[in-house]
Amino acid sequence: MMIPVRCFTCGTVVGEHWEEFKARAKEGDEDPAEVLDELGVNRHCCRRMMVSHTDLVDVVSPYQ
Amino acid sequence: MTNEFDVEIIERDDRSALFVVRGLTPAFANGIRRAMVADVPTFSIDTVRFVENSSVMFDEMIGLRLGLVPLTTPLDDFEVGETVTLALDVEGPATAYSGDIETSVPEVVPADENIPIIELKENQRLEFEADAVLESGKVHAKQQGGVAVGYRHLQRIEVVGDAPEFDEQEPNILRGVIETEDGELVVTDEFDNDLTQRYPGKEVEVVDVPDTFVFDVETDGSFTVDELVLRAIESIDARAAELEEKVSV
Repeated sequence: MMIPVRCFTCGTVVGEHWEEFKARAKEGDEDPAEVLDELGVNRHCCRRMMVSHTDLVDVVSPYQ
Repeated sequence: MTNEFDVEIIERDDRSALFVVRGLTPAFANGIRRAMVADVPTFSIDTVRFVENSSVMFDEMIGLRLGLVPLTTPLDDFEVGETVTLALDVEGPATAYSGDIETSVPEVVPADENIPIIELKENQRLEFEADAVLESGKVHAKQQGGVAVGYRHLQRIEVVGDAPEFDEQEPNILRGVIETEDGELVVTDEFDNDLTQRYPGKEVEVVDVPDTFVFDVETDGSFTVDELVLRAIESIDARAAELEEKVSV
Protein backbone atom coordinates (compact mmCIF):
# COMPACT_ATOMS: atom_id res chain seq x y z
CA MET A 1 0.00 0.00 0.00
CA MET A 2 2.42 2.69 1.25
CA ILE A 3 6.19 2.14 1.33
CA PRO A 4 7.12 0.50 4.66
CA VAL A 5 8.76 2.95 7.04
CA ARG A 6 11.66 0.63 7.82
CA CYS A 7 13.44 -2.27 6.19
CA PHE A 8 11.85 -5.53 7.40
CA THR A 9 15.21 -7.21 7.92
CA CYS A 10 17.62 -4.66 9.36
CA GLY A 11 15.39 -1.81 10.56
CA THR A 12 16.99 1.00 8.60
CA VAL A 13 14.56 3.79 7.72
CA VAL A 14 13.89 3.38 3.98
CA GLY A 15 10.59 5.30 3.70
CA GLU A 16 12.28 8.69 3.49
CA HIS A 17 14.02 7.77 0.23
CA TRP A 18 10.95 6.42 -1.54
CA GLU A 19 9.68 9.55 -3.25
CA GLU A 20 13.06 10.43 -4.70
CA PHE A 21 13.61 6.84 -5.81
CA LYS A 22 10.15 6.73 -7.39
CA ALA A 23 10.64 9.99 -9.24
CA ARG A 24 14.11 9.14 -10.53
CA ALA A 25 14.06 5.39 -11.12
CA LYS A 26 10.47 4.15 -11.34
CA GLU A 27 9.02 7.07 -13.28
CA GLY A 28 12.27 8.57 -14.51
CA ASP A 29 14.76 6.72 -16.65
CA GLU A 30 17.74 6.50 -14.30
CA ASP A 31 19.33 3.19 -13.37
CA PRO A 32 17.70 2.03 -10.10
CA ALA A 33 21.00 0.60 -8.82
CA GLU A 34 22.76 3.92 -9.22
CA VAL A 35 19.92 5.86 -7.59
CA LEU A 36 19.95 3.51 -4.59
CA ASP A 37 23.73 3.85 -4.28
CA GLU A 38 23.39 7.63 -4.26
CA LEU A 39 20.63 7.53 -1.68
CA GLY A 40 22.82 5.43 0.62
CA VAL A 41 20.58 2.37 0.51
CA ASN A 42 23.45 -0.09 0.42
CA ARG A 43 22.36 -3.42 1.85
CA HIS A 44 20.41 -5.76 -0.38
CA CYS A 45 17.71 -6.17 2.29
CA CYS A 46 16.93 -2.43 2.11
CA ARG A 47 17.26 -2.31 -1.67
CA ARG A 48 14.62 -4.97 -2.17
CA MET A 49 12.20 -2.93 -0.05
CA MET A 50 12.43 -0.12 -2.61
CA VAL A 51 12.73 -2.17 -5.80
CA SER A 52 9.81 -4.50 -5.06
CA HIS A 53 7.38 -1.92 -3.72
CA THR A 54 4.18 -0.79 -5.48
CA ASP A 55 1.94 2.04 -4.28
CA LEU A 56 -1.63 0.79 -4.03
CA VAL A 57 -3.41 3.78 -2.50
CA ASP A 58 -4.79 4.80 -5.90
CA VAL A 59 -6.10 1.28 -6.45
CA VAL A 60 -7.98 0.94 -3.16
CA SER A 61 -9.17 4.53 -2.67
CA PRO A 62 -12.41 4.19 -4.75
CA TYR A 63 -13.66 1.44 -2.41
CA GLN A 64 -13.67 3.43 0.84
CA MET B 1 39.13 -7.38 34.10
CA THR B 2 41.72 -4.67 34.25
CA ASN B 3 43.15 -4.82 30.75
CA GLU B 4 43.23 -1.67 28.65
CA PHE B 5 41.10 -1.29 25.59
CA ASP B 6 42.52 0.29 22.50
CA VAL B 7 39.97 1.90 20.19
CA GLU B 8 40.76 3.02 16.67
CA ILE B 9 38.10 4.78 14.66
CA ILE B 10 38.18 4.01 10.94
CA GLU B 11 35.06 5.76 9.68
CA ARG B 12 32.84 8.07 11.62
CA ASP B 13 29.64 9.78 10.61
CA ASP B 14 26.65 11.13 12.44
CA ARG B 15 24.67 7.98 11.92
CA SER B 16 27.23 5.28 11.18
CA ALA B 17 30.70 4.34 12.35
CA LEU B 18 33.35 1.68 11.85
CA PHE B 19 35.91 1.15 14.60
CA VAL B 20 38.42 -1.42 15.84
CA VAL B 21 38.65 -2.36 19.51
CA ARG B 22 41.60 -4.35 20.88
CA GLY B 23 41.67 -6.21 24.16
CA LEU B 24 38.08 -7.47 24.17
CA THR B 25 36.89 -10.99 24.83
CA PRO B 26 34.25 -12.29 22.39
CA ALA B 27 31.74 -12.29 25.25
CA PHE B 28 32.39 -8.66 26.07
CA ALA B 29 32.19 -7.65 22.40
CA ASN B 30 28.79 -9.29 22.23
CA GLY B 31 27.82 -7.60 25.47
CA ILE B 32 28.54 -4.21 23.92
CA ARG B 33 26.53 -5.10 20.83
CA ARG B 34 23.57 -6.23 22.88
CA ALA B 35 23.73 -3.13 25.06
CA MET B 36 23.65 -0.96 21.94
CA VAL B 37 20.61 -2.75 20.59
CA ALA B 38 18.59 -3.36 23.74
CA ASP B 39 19.72 -1.03 26.53
CA VAL B 40 19.88 2.45 25.04
CA PRO B 41 16.36 3.92 25.18
CA THR B 42 14.78 6.01 22.44
CA PHE B 43 11.51 7.84 22.01
CA SER B 44 8.88 6.12 19.94
CA ILE B 45 5.16 6.67 19.48
CA ASP B 46 3.30 4.18 21.66
CA THR B 47 -0.29 5.39 22.02
CA VAL B 48 -2.36 7.10 19.34
CA ARG B 49 -5.75 8.77 19.84
CA PHE B 50 -7.41 9.21 16.47
CA VAL B 51 -9.70 12.20 16.08
CA GLU B 52 -10.43 11.49 12.44
CA ASN B 53 -9.08 8.90 10.06
CA SER B 54 -10.87 8.69 6.76
CA SER B 55 -7.79 7.46 4.88
CA VAL B 56 -7.55 4.10 3.10
CA MET B 57 -5.65 2.57 6.02
CA PHE B 58 -7.05 1.35 9.31
CA ASP B 59 -6.10 3.11 12.55
CA GLU B 60 -3.90 0.18 13.57
CA MET B 61 -1.91 0.24 10.33
CA ILE B 62 -1.20 3.94 10.74
CA GLY B 63 -0.34 3.35 14.39
CA LEU B 64 2.25 0.77 13.33
CA ARG B 65 3.81 3.13 10.81
CA LEU B 66 3.95 5.94 13.38
CA GLY B 67 5.71 3.73 15.90
CA LEU B 68 8.51 3.09 13.43
CA VAL B 69 9.24 6.77 12.76
CA PRO B 70 12.49 7.60 14.60
CA LEU B 71 12.30 10.55 17.00
CA THR B 72 15.30 12.54 18.16
CA THR B 73 16.06 11.67 21.75
CA PRO B 74 17.98 13.98 24.10
CA LEU B 75 18.86 11.34 26.71
CA ASP B 76 20.13 13.87 29.26
CA ASP B 77 16.75 15.54 29.65
CA PHE B 78 14.44 12.55 29.98
CA GLU B 79 14.03 9.47 32.17
CA VAL B 80 12.88 6.09 30.91
CA GLY B 81 9.07 5.99 30.96
CA GLU B 82 8.53 9.71 30.33
CA THR B 83 6.18 10.68 27.53
CA VAL B 84 5.99 13.46 24.97
CA THR B 85 2.79 14.44 23.16
CA LEU B 86 2.69 14.72 19.38
CA ALA B 87 -0.06 15.69 16.98
CA LEU B 88 -0.79 15.68 13.27
CA ASP B 89 -3.57 17.16 11.19
CA VAL B 90 -3.49 16.80 7.41
CA GLU B 91 -6.38 17.12 5.00
CA GLY B 92 -6.41 15.59 1.51
CA PRO B 93 -5.55 15.76 -1.26
CA ALA B 94 -2.05 15.63 0.24
CA THR B 95 0.44 13.18 1.69
CA ALA B 96 0.99 13.19 5.43
CA TYR B 97 4.73 13.10 6.11
CA SER B 98 6.59 12.45 9.32
CA GLY B 99 7.75 16.08 9.07
CA ASP B 100 4.13 17.23 9.51
CA ILE B 101 4.05 15.82 13.03
CA GLU B 102 4.11 18.56 15.65
CA THR B 103 5.53 17.94 19.09
CA SER B 104 5.12 19.52 22.50
CA VAL B 105 8.88 19.46 23.12
CA PRO B 106 11.13 21.08 20.49
CA GLU B 107 14.00 18.63 21.18
CA VAL B 108 11.89 15.60 20.31
CA VAL B 109 11.06 15.76 16.61
CA PRO B 110 10.99 13.17 13.80
CA ALA B 111 14.60 12.44 12.82
CA ASP B 112 13.61 12.06 9.17
CA GLU B 113 11.06 14.43 7.71
CA ASN B 114 10.32 12.74 4.39
CA ILE B 115 8.76 9.48 5.54
CA PRO B 116 5.31 9.20 3.95
CA ILE B 117 2.75 8.16 6.57
CA ILE B 118 -0.29 7.96 4.31
CA GLU B 119 -1.40 9.43 1.03
CA LEU B 120 -4.73 11.23 1.40
CA LYS B 121 -7.22 11.72 -1.42
CA GLU B 122 -10.00 14.29 -1.81
CA ASN B 123 -12.21 14.53 1.32
CA GLN B 124 -9.91 12.31 3.36
CA ARG B 125 -8.42 13.56 6.58
CA LEU B 126 -6.05 12.32 9.23
CA GLU B 127 -5.97 13.90 12.65
CA PHE B 128 -4.58 12.36 15.77
CA GLU B 129 -2.81 13.00 19.02
CA ALA B 130 -0.08 10.58 20.09
CA ASP B 131 2.16 9.85 23.05
CA ALA B 132 5.79 8.95 22.48
CA VAL B 133 7.40 7.06 25.33
CA LEU B 134 11.09 6.70 26.21
CA GLU B 135 11.79 2.98 26.53
CA SER B 136 14.65 0.57 25.82
CA GLY B 137 14.85 -1.92 22.96
CA LYS B 138 14.03 -4.74 25.37
CA VAL B 139 10.43 -3.56 25.44
CA HIS B 140 9.83 -3.27 21.70
CA ALA B 141 12.00 -3.33 18.57
CA LYS B 142 10.73 0.12 17.60
CA GLN B 143 12.55 1.53 20.66
CA GLN B 144 15.96 0.31 19.46
CA GLY B 145 18.38 3.13 18.75
CA GLY B 146 21.01 0.91 17.14
CA VAL B 147 20.25 -0.49 13.73
CA ALA B 148 22.37 -3.17 12.03
CA VAL B 149 24.89 -3.25 14.86
CA GLY B 150 27.50 -5.93 14.30
CA TYR B 151 31.09 -6.95 14.94
CA ARG B 152 33.59 -9.39 13.54
CA HIS B 153 37.13 -10.47 14.26
CA LEU B 154 39.82 -8.28 12.77
CA GLN B 155 41.52 -10.34 10.08
CA ARG B 156 45.22 -10.23 9.41
CA ILE B 157 46.59 -10.92 5.95
CA GLU B 158 49.90 -12.73 5.60
CA VAL B 159 51.57 -13.22 2.25
CA VAL B 160 52.87 -16.79 2.23
CA GLY B 161 54.18 -17.03 -1.32
CA ASP B 162 53.41 -16.59 -5.00
CA ALA B 163 50.30 -18.01 -6.61
CA PRO B 164 50.94 -20.69 -9.25
CA GLU B 165 51.82 -18.79 -12.40
CA PHE B 166 49.22 -20.05 -14.86
CA ASP B 167 46.34 -20.61 -12.44
CA GLU B 168 43.41 -18.29 -12.66
CA GLN B 169 43.02 -16.64 -9.27
CA GLU B 170 39.66 -17.01 -7.63
CA PRO B 171 38.23 -13.98 -5.83
CA ASN B 172 38.93 -13.96 -2.11
CA ILE B 173 36.22 -11.82 -0.57
CA LEU B 174 36.58 -10.12 2.81
CA ARG B 175 34.43 -7.43 4.35
CA GLY B 176 34.99 -4.70 6.89
CA VAL B 177 38.56 -3.94 7.86
CA ILE B 178 41.76 -5.95 7.46
CA GLU B 179 45.19 -5.65 8.99
CA THR B 180 48.21 -5.92 6.72
CA GLU B 181 51.55 -7.42 7.71
CA ASP B 182 52.85 -3.96 8.71
CA GLY B 183 49.93 -3.52 11.09
CA GLU B 184 48.14 -1.06 8.83
CA LEU B 185 44.34 -1.08 8.95
CA VAL B 186 42.71 -1.06 5.53
CA VAL B 187 38.99 -0.78 4.74
CA THR B 188 38.06 -3.54 2.32
CA ASP B 189 36.11 -1.12 0.11
CA GLU B 190 39.47 0.25 -1.04
CA PHE B 191 40.18 -2.92 -3.01
CA ASP B 192 36.59 -3.85 -3.87
CA ASN B 193 36.45 -6.39 -0.99
CA ASP B 194 38.61 -8.76 -3.04
CA LEU B 195 42.04 -9.73 -1.71
CA THR B 196 43.29 -10.75 -5.14
CA GLN B 197 42.94 -7.08 -6.15
CA ARG B 198 45.29 -5.98 -3.38
CA TYR B 199 47.73 -8.87 -3.60
CA PRO B 200 47.69 -9.88 -7.26
CA GLY B 201 49.68 -13.02 -7.98
CA LYS B 202 50.31 -13.75 -4.30
CA GLU B 203 49.15 -16.56 -2.12
CA VAL B 204 47.80 -15.14 1.13
CA GLU B 205 46.62 -16.53 4.40
CA VAL B 206 43.86 -14.93 6.46
CA VAL B 207 44.02 -15.29 10.23
CA ASP B 208 41.80 -13.85 12.94
CA VAL B 209 43.56 -11.45 15.30
CA PRO B 210 42.75 -12.66 18.81
CA ASP B 211 40.72 -10.37 21.09
CA THR B 212 40.35 -7.71 18.41
CA PHE B 213 37.02 -6.78 16.91
CA VAL B 214 35.74 -4.54 14.15
CA PHE B 215 32.44 -2.92 15.07
CA ASP B 216 30.02 -1.66 12.47
CA VAL B 217 27.40 0.55 14.10
CA GLU B 218 24.47 2.49 12.68
CA THR B 219 21.73 4.44 14.41
CA ASP B 220 18.20 5.21 13.24
CA GLY B 221 18.80 8.94 13.75
CA SER B 222 17.53 9.19 17.32
CA PHE B 223 21.03 10.24 18.41
CA THR B 224 24.59 10.15 17.08
CA VAL B 225 26.66 6.97 16.97
CA ASP B 226 28.98 8.43 19.63
CA GLU B 227 26.07 8.81 21.99
CA LEU B 228 24.82 5.29 21.28
CA VAL B 229 28.17 3.62 21.94
CA LEU B 230 28.93 5.65 25.06
CA ARG B 231 25.46 5.08 26.52
CA ALA B 232 25.77 1.35 25.84
CA ILE B 233 29.10 1.20 27.69
CA GLU B 234 27.59 3.26 30.50
CA SER B 235 24.74 0.78 30.86
CA ILE B 236 27.17 -2.15 31.09
CA ASP B 237 29.12 -0.20 33.68
CA ALA B 238 25.99 0.52 35.72
CA ARG B 239 24.91 -3.11 35.67
CA ALA B 240 28.37 -4.33 36.67
CA ALA B 241 28.40 -1.87 39.58
CA GLU B 242 24.95 -3.04 40.64
CA LEU B 243 26.05 -6.67 40.54
CA GLU B 244 29.14 -5.91 42.60
CA GLU B 245 27.07 -4.14 45.20
CA LYS B 246 24.47 -6.91 45.42
CA VAL B 247 27.08 -9.66 45.66
CA SER B 248 29.13 -7.93 48.35
CA VAL B 249 26.18 -7.73 50.77
